[in-house]
Amino acid sequence: MKTLTKTIFKNYFSASSKYDELLTSKMSIKDNWKVLSQNLLHIGTENLAIKQTELNWLLSENGVTYNVYNDPNGLNRPWDLNVVPYLIHQNEWTNVEKGIQQRAELLNLILKDLYGKRELLKNGILPPEVIYAHSGFLRACDQIKYKNAKQLSIYAADLARGPDGRMWVVNDRTQAPSGMGYALENRFSTSKVIPELFTNINVTQPTNFFNDFNQLLINSAATNAESPMVVILTPGPHNETYFEHSYLSSFLGYPLVKGNDLVVRHGKVWLKSLKGLKQVDVILRRIDDTFMDPLELREDSYLGVAGLLEAVRLQNVSIINPIGSGVLENPALNPFMKNICKYFLNEELILPQIASWWCGQEKERKHVLADLPSFVLKRIDRSNREHIYFCEFLDKAALEQLKKEILEFPFRFIAQEKIAFSTAPNFIKNQLEPRKILCRTFAIAKDDSYSVMPGGLVRVAPEREELFVSNQRGGTSKDFWIVTDTPQPNLQNYSWNKSNSSPSTVINDVPSHTAENLFWSGRYIGRALVTARYLRMVLNQMTNAQYNDRKSESESLKILFQSITKITSTFPGFIGENEAEALQNPLKEIKDIILDEHKIGSFAQSMQSFSNSYYALRNLWSRDMWRVFDGIQKHIKTLKNKEDYTVYTLTNFFDKIITRLIAFMALTEESIMVRQGLLLYFIGLQLEISAMNIEKFRAVLIVNYDEELEYEILESLLNSHESLNIYRYSYNSYLSIENVINLIILDKEYSRSLTYQMHRLKKDIDKLPSTHQNNELTVCQENMNLVISKLESFTISDMLSIHSESNMRDKLDQLLSDLSDLLHVTSMSISDTYFNHSQPQKQLVNRKISN
Amino acid sequence: MIFDLWHKTKYIYENGASFCHNLTTIKPKTFPGQTLLDYTLEISPTPTDITERTDFFGNAVTRFSIQQHHKELIVIAKSKVERDYASQIDHETFLKAKDISIEDTKLVLKGTASELIDVRQFLMPSPLISSNSETIKSYAAMSFKPGRSFYDATYELMQRIYTDFDFVPGFTNIATPLKEVMLAKKGVCQDFAQIAIACIRSMGLPAKYVSGYIETLPPEGKEKLIGTDASHAWFSVYLPNYGWVDFDPTNNQIPKNQHIVVAHGRDYYDVPPLKGVIYSMGKNTMEVSVDLRPSKDYLAQMQSQSQQ
Repeated sequence: MKTLTKTIFKNYFSASSKYDELLTSKMSIKDNWKVLSQNLLHIGTENLAIKQTELNWLLSENGVTYNVYNDPNGLNRPWDLNVVPYLIHQNEWTNVEKGIQQRAELLNLILKDLYGKRELLKNGILPPEVIYAHSGFLRACDQIKYKNAKQLSIYAADLARGPDGRMWVVNDRTQAPSGMGYALENRFSTSKVIPELFTNINVTQPTNFFNDFNQLLINSAATNAESPMVVILTPGPHNETYFEHSYLSSFLGYPLVKGNDLVVRHGKVWLKSLKGLKQVDVILRRIDDTFMDPLELREDSYLGVAGLLEAVRLQNVSIINPIGSGVLENPALNPFMKNICKYFLNEELILPQIASWWCGQEKERKHVLADLPSFVLKRIDRSNREHIYFCEFLDKAALEQLKKEILEFPFRFIAQEKIAFSTAPNFIKNQLEPRKILCRTFAIAKDDSYSVMPGGLVRVAPEREELFVSNQRGGTSKDFWIVTDTPQPNLQNYSWNKSNSSPSTVINDVPSHTAENLFWSGRYIGRALVTARYLRMVLNQMTNAQYNDRKSESESLKILFQSITKITSTFPGFIGENEAEALQNPLKEIKDIILDEHKIGSFAQSMQSFSNSYYALRNLWSRDMWRVFDGIQKHIKTLKNKEDYTVYTLTNFFDKIITRLIAFMALTEESIMVRQGLLLYFIGLQLEISAMNIEKFRAVLIVNYDEELEYEILESLLNSHESLNIYRYSYNSYLSIENVINLIILDKEYSRSLTYQMHRLKKDIDKLPSTHQNNELTVCQENMNLVISKLESFTISDMLSIHSESNMRDKLDQLLSDLSDLLHVTSMSISDTYFNHSQPQKQLVNRKISN
Repeated sequence: MIFDLWHKTKYIYENGASFCHNLTTIKPKTFPGQTLLDYTLEISPTPTDITERTDFFGNAVTRFSIQQHHKELIVIAKSKVERDYASQIDHETFLKAKDISIEDTKLVLKGTASELIDVRQFLMPSPLISSNSETIKSYAAMSFKPGRSFYDATYELMQRIYTDFDFVPGFTNIATPLKEVMLAKKGVCQDFAQIAIACIRSMGLPAKYVSGYIETLPPEGKEKLIGTDASHAWFSVYLPNYGWVDFDPTNNQIPKNQHIVVAHGRDYYDVPPLKGVIYSMGKNTMEVSVDLRPSKDYLAQMQSQSQQ
């Protein structure tokens, strides 16, 4: 292929490493890669660059993120997927698959033995210090019996191609391996953006694998086997792979929960839901071993569930993978794997491993210390996050220090041979560049063996010469293809559960924290919307005022500025001490109310609180929602970065934001089911909007102004209420306070009137699960009844009556003030009745030990 | 000798607790030389569920949870324990084991007999005894000289700790690093036991932590007050071909009939008498009282015997 020299392959040949996936030693393209190379050439450099941009865009639009700890760019770094996939032919993969199955089975047997009879230690196959020195060996898990055929349910292996051309096992991951969801999303994205890449290539899809995974979760249930309750336990939104937790939750259809959503009572695990407690049968956990139970394991953990281990012992819950399986993430097992394999299976290891010397053995230690710089040193557990010493790069002092540490606790260290793994083509700056890669694949216990994912997740070294490949340090990923000679079925969009036919969710089962987050996101978005509309109205009035200088204009503006402070409760603001100063330069105060997230009651604060509540609900989002949400965030960011503010820029900002907020609300309503908890969102939304409207009415309708001023104020109010057109339509007359009150407070059919909203709120609250045995009313219902009867007991003339001394509509003010209090009490009672109110978790004796 | 043992722990929660899960390790062990004749555990309020199991180290651990709101938690363990040091030791093998050198001990520990596999974990760092400091090593080395018998070296270490360290309650807590204890040479029985264990492990030899009780005697001529005893802790070392031998550095003695053994662990972390997770706001306070005295029935019988 002579054309290659002018293409993306231009520099690939000269740059390629000793061992490359694409090229043979004679610098020709390997057979397996030929069709893909042709497809790449066919697509062309320019198009590939476009596709890469589209891929980045799609992933970011879909909200595929990876959180990097201590990243100055903050949470939610976009996931990076290279347009060029990595591939292996089925002929080679069949053997890798067997090797993974063998290794999974071996690790399973080791796990059973270490927490059971410990024959490996007693028969001298494995030195006990390999286990005793590993922080993952949890004595509290000793002798626990499991009903599952396989103790190790999920296994992930990191593979890389060694100098001998074979795939080697580099790492074992057995606690809560990550990457499955990212691998799946990579496949979806690649298929969607560049289907032409698959031309004439048969790629095996992971559909069956995910069905096996789902089946495993269901079959693991020791309790309620007919229709088990499966949950996914996440450490929460700040975890690096939170995206994946919520992704799997929606893909598999199981609720995503945090530790404090669960509670252990009577030796069983329960999910706190709207209706009360619901028993949990299977927990797919994404929390590390020691954090799972603060009672028996790490005492300072706030991520786990106190008493969980006892529920496991009583076989009342299944945890996937079982607590304690972290002991297998131990490179010091490597030197003994060959013998362990003989001992348990009487077989040879199928997959090679990196040659390793455990320093706990005298001979090996001496061998290592004699030539330390030629090794890569690791600790046998990951107590120090992924701490690896590449000794060749260490200076003398560092080598001495390391030597000292090894001699002090030799059994904590493992030395590994330095290996140059293979490189694969990566599309960078319109060129293909060879980069080191690491493949992670997954195995799921199935019957008496393991089901292996065809492919997995490929990660690419961030720099050309980089030895180390890890997501935690950033870097790129690739779609991982297993190609065959026969056509393959298509990829399924969801994992369908064949055996479970009972409907899974009713409103009663909504986890309390989901309900709570929905409630608060409703409140915050309501608050953001009312604030945005009101501020936009005031900004518009300011624009009008620039062009005429009627006295009433400036007076009405002052009233409006002050009403902003009252409605948003951003005191002192335009009221009190700095009143004159604020009124002098109103734009500054308005800007703060928009952008200062430290200002309680500000728009920025509402948006931030909204984001927090909403982010915790990610598994319920549709992709369109993410897109709109992201758009809102970007507009806020853009405005923040602007140096100058004019009335115009702020108005413009709100025009965009309001449209998006409304789009977001509409999407929320159509994509989340009422029985998934949307009801709580509606209640929160109605409560907040009504409460803010009441403040609005109190701020502008109470004082009796002269006619001209009143006209302007009423016009502004209707404007901010988006009710001016409706008013014109309904009354076809001059603005009068009587008609305005009739429309926006008393009208029974107009959806923006207070009366209407209160009835709607009552209806929704009536739908919440009853907490009483008989049909007694809940406190929330009683409160709502009070609201309605209060509202109905007032006539329009009561509301209009003006107190002779104060010149105020004092009865209206009293009514609104009472309603405001009642709504507050209602909100509190909803929270008391339905949300999770466990008191803070503490240690009985604070031992301040964190190990 | 038969003892009546009474151990009461009381927690008072300032604002009450809605829920709690607890673990206790306070039930005395039974082994040759110590027999638990009677044991009751009284918990108030009555736990919703309660289970007992044997942990990794062979200790009896009771887990209980209280699921109603409560203002205070009271745990009272009452035991009747028979102690007979004479039947605990086999004089002849003990005499031989006392002579085994440090070097021979290390050699034996390379074995993989089931018992040795268990012993070998006590050579390793543990949650509270996790790093070797030079100070500890050099302090230990003064007693653990080459060629010396493991027993003799340990005995001397115990004596030195007794002499060099001051018993000062309140100076340390469980989280105080050993280095600080070593530097100040002050602490309580738990600290002394852990210092000794750290010293012995720094020499590549096995030592474990023992929690229990010791009978205290009133000043001569005075009646012993009720509830004035305390939990106690000491350490134990493994002598090849013999087994574990206890040492009490706080009292400079080999524990005999005045020591009641409750639990063994790598250090205090493995065997706290009571720990738990509570859901509560505000502060909580704890009171502990222990009473250990010869059983009245037993005394009465002895007295009736001697009158004949």
